[in-house]
Amino acid sequence: MDDSDEALMARVARGDERAFQLLSRRHLPAAIGLARRILRNSADAEDVAQEAFIRVWTHAPRWQPVAQFRTWLTRVVVNLCLDRKRRAPWVELEAAGEIVDPTPGAGEKAEMDERARMLTAAIDKLPPRQRSAIVLTYGEGMTNAHVAEVLDTSVSAVETLLVRGKQNLRRALGDMIDKDE
Amino acid sequence: MTDEQFEKFLETVLKRQAPVDDAAVDRVLKRLKPLPRQKPPLWRLPSVLLNWEFAPAWPRMAALACCAALGFGLGIAGFDRPFDRLGAPYGIGNPDIGSIVSEPDSLTGERP
Repeated sequence: MDDSDEALMARVARGDERAFQLLSRRHLPAAIGLARRILRNSADAEDVAQEAFIRVWTHAPRWQPVAQFRTWLTRVVVNLCLDRKRRAPWVELEAAGEIVDPTPGAGEKAEMDERARMLTAAIDKLPPRQRSAIVLTYGEGMTNAHVAEVLDTSVSAVETLLVRGKQNLRRALGDMIDKDE
Repeated sequence: MTDEQFEKFLETVLKRQAPVDDAAVDRVLKRLKPLPRQKPPLWRLPSVLLNWEFAPAWPRMAALACCAALGFGLGIAGFDRPFDRLGAPYGIGNPDIGSIVSEPDSLTGERP
C-alpha cells in the first residue's frame, strides 16, 4: 500500500482515521518542534500542533496536492504560531540568578547560555515574518525557495526578510557582538 | 563577529533544543480525539444540487391550486355583501357625508 503523505491524505479525505493516525505520528514531532522554536513554550507548541492537525483532518477533503503536504503543514503551523503570538504578546521574564558551577568549562557554558538567551530574546522581538524566516532558515534548515513557499512569498522577499532580520538582531545584540570582535 | 560566524551562531542556538519526546506526541494524539466533522469538498456542491429532488408532490400542488382558485372566487364574489344585494352595484351605504365635520383641537397654552 502507498504510504506517501499524499496517498495518506487522500485516505484521510475519505474519513480514514487510521491514515490520519499514521500521518500524525509521522509529522507531529516536526510540527511540535517547529512550534516550540517559534513560541518557545512547550504547552503552547502542543496546542498549536493539535490545532494544526485538527485542520489537517477537517480540511482534508478540500486539500489539493498542489504543494507537498509537509510544506502545507509547515505553513499552517507557522500561521497558527504567529496568530498566537499576536494574540498574547511575549512577556519578558526577569532573568533568574545563575548559580555558579565550579566544574571546568562551566564558565564558558554559562556564557554561551547567556548569549543564547539574549539571541532568543532578540529573535522574539523581531517582526513576525522576519522571525519566521530566521527560524525556518536557521532552525529548520530550509532553503530560501522552501521558506518562500511556506510563507507564500517570493524568494527575493525571503532574502530581504533574512537580511533585515539579521540586521535587527545585530543591532539588538550590539554589545555582545562587539565584545567578540 | 563576521556574517558567517553570526549565521553559525544563529544555527547553533536555534537548533539547540531538546528533541520532541514520544510523550508530547502521545499527549497531542490523545487530545485529537474525538475528531470533528470534516468539511465537505467544494467541488461536490454542484453534484449535490444536480441530485436535488425537484419533482413536486402533485397532490399537494393540486390542493394548493384548489385553495388559490377558491380564494380568488370568494374574493371576486364578495361575500361581505348580503345575498339580496349581490346583484346591486357597489355604492356608499350612507351618501350623506355632510355629517363628517373636521373639528381641529383648540389651541392650549399661552402664547408669549
